[in-house]
Amino acid sequence: MAIIESFLNTLYDLCMKSGFAGFLVDGGWKNIIMILISFVFMYLAIARGFEPLLLLPISFGMLLTNLPGAGMYHSELWEYATRTEIDPVTGNELVNDHYLDYGYILRHGGLLDMLYLGVKLQIYPPLIFLGIGAMTDFGPLIANPKSFLLGAAAQGGIFFTFIGAALLGMTAAECASIAIIGGADGPTAIFVSSKLLSKTDDIGVGTIALAAYTYMALVPIIQPPIMKALTTKKERGVVMGQLRKVSKTEKILFPILVTVVIALMIPDAAPLVGMLMFGNLLKESGCCDRIAKTAQNELMNIITIFLGTSVGATTKADNIITIAFGKVILLGVIAFSLATACGVLLGKVMYLASGKKINPLIGSAGVSAVPMAARVAQKVGQEENPTNYLLMHAMGPNVAGVIGSAVAAGVLLSIVQIG
Amino acid sequence: MNTEICMSAAYFLKTSDRNLGGETVASVVITGIAVVFVALILLIGLVWCYGKIFEAVNAKAAAKAEAEAAQKAAEAAKAAPAVKAAPAAPVVEDGIEEEVVAVISAAIAAYGAQTGKKLAVRSIKASGGAPSGRNAWGAAGLAEATRPF
Repeated sequence: MAIIESFLNTLYDLCMKSGFAGFLVDGGWKNIIMILISFVFMYLAIARGFEPLLLLPISFGMLLTNLPGAGMYHSELWEYATRTEIDPVTGNELVNDHYLDYGYILRHGGLLDMLYLGVKLQIYPPLIFLGIGAMTDFGPLIANPKSFLLGAAAQGGIFFTFIGAALLGMTAAECASIAIIGGADGPTAIFVSSKLLSKTDDIGVGTIALAAYTYMALVPIIQPPIMKALTTKKERGVVMGQLRKVSKTEKILFPILVTVVIALMIPDAAPLVGMLMFGNLLKESGCCDRIAKTAQNELMNIITIFLGTSVGATTKADNIITIAFGKVILLGVIAFSLATACGVLLGKVMYLASGKKINPLIGSAGVSAVPMAARVAQKVGQEENPTNYLLMHAMGPNVAGVIGSAVAAGVLLSIVQIG
Repeated sequence: MNTEICMSAAYFLKTSDRNLGGETVASVVITGIAVVFVALILLIGLVWCYGKIFEAVNAKAAAKAEAEAAQKAAEAAKAAPAVKAAPAAPVVEDGIEEEVVAVISAAIAAYGAQTGKKLAVRSIKASGGAPSGRNAWGAAGLAEATRPF
């Protein structure tokens, strides 16, 4: 009898310690919903090909973090505390209300906490930019520098969305983090949100990353109706002249020039722009093929895995199933749409100013989803004129958009200060 | 001092600030858009300037190379005696590019050399089919240039 009782007690204890019991405790049902949502994102990544390289790691991180008892990520470790610190330079006392005890995290954190250090310490997004730079050809932008204007115009979506978020009564950190989704640049969105958002905010980095990457994958669905609504058949049919050939020296000088100008103007944009341009210099110099290939492939892939899973891990049920999540989804699509519209509208202005030589569709590529947005411009252009080839012309604003969104991120970080 | 604080309040926000006033939001939007445009317009100016410089340098180098090539060709023509009259050029239908004629002639010549037959191109005509908006060279160039994307 005692044996059976002991057996049943042990069995009961095991059940109570298992993850299944975690679903039954207070709020455990939220984890089930989050796991189901992670399955939806996995389906979108695997079956529908929605940005699979990032959406799959993010959704798997989401699954891991919502398994009760697994203890791979602890959101409570990342809650900011307020501490008084001594400035090592001036010796003055400083109140730091974004204090994190990294020593404690290293001693008590789970695997995904360790990987999340790279997000919190702003390491992964610049390294992703290094890889992007090593893969990007800025030739079309150098050949037609006016494309920079379209890349700048599309950033209007970021700042106009800031208004919408402010009207919904969000904090400055939330406004900036949601607005940056309009830049259509995942690493930039993570860079800004991981720096600004804290536990007191209703949204987290994972929410922003999920919205950004989902909308980036939906570029071919979101953009064409806006592009068609804002342009006439005649404008969409404009065939643009051939771009001039860009010499190797020009391509080498470009990343150095951009780094110096942008880093001096907006120092907060230096980590992103600097690494983007360093990657590009590695590629264009032709003397560092091994490093350039590593940046493009192995390093990029490793960081993508770390970034995706750890950002996915921040999507714990308590942080996601809130009204704020709905606001992010709504404002995110508005940000994207406004960015596209701003680019196309400036494209129309340039169409008129250039004597109808510029196809306004290329303005939509000013959002930095590379090369998806350029491909969409090409596709919509070819629907009007099958012999029209806008891809290279659209690549100019597209890569300008990458620089533009990094600059916009720097501006937001300069305006919204931690505190 | 007071003025300085007011200026700071208008342009810099704390992460935890909520219920941002219309004036504050407007200043963020205007500042943000203006700074992004100024930064990228500055880059346009610089890239345009060095683009012009490089175009001029490249044009000069190309002109020099062309002149040298022309001089060499003239010297070679002078040195080589005329052996026989050039064969009659083939009759080419309008709309067919010179490059296409050159490629067809080269292919026929290569085939002739391989088989030992003496072949000549008398005429080149388009055989019909759907007209393409771009010639073969253009299409190949386009495919090459856009392959990375």
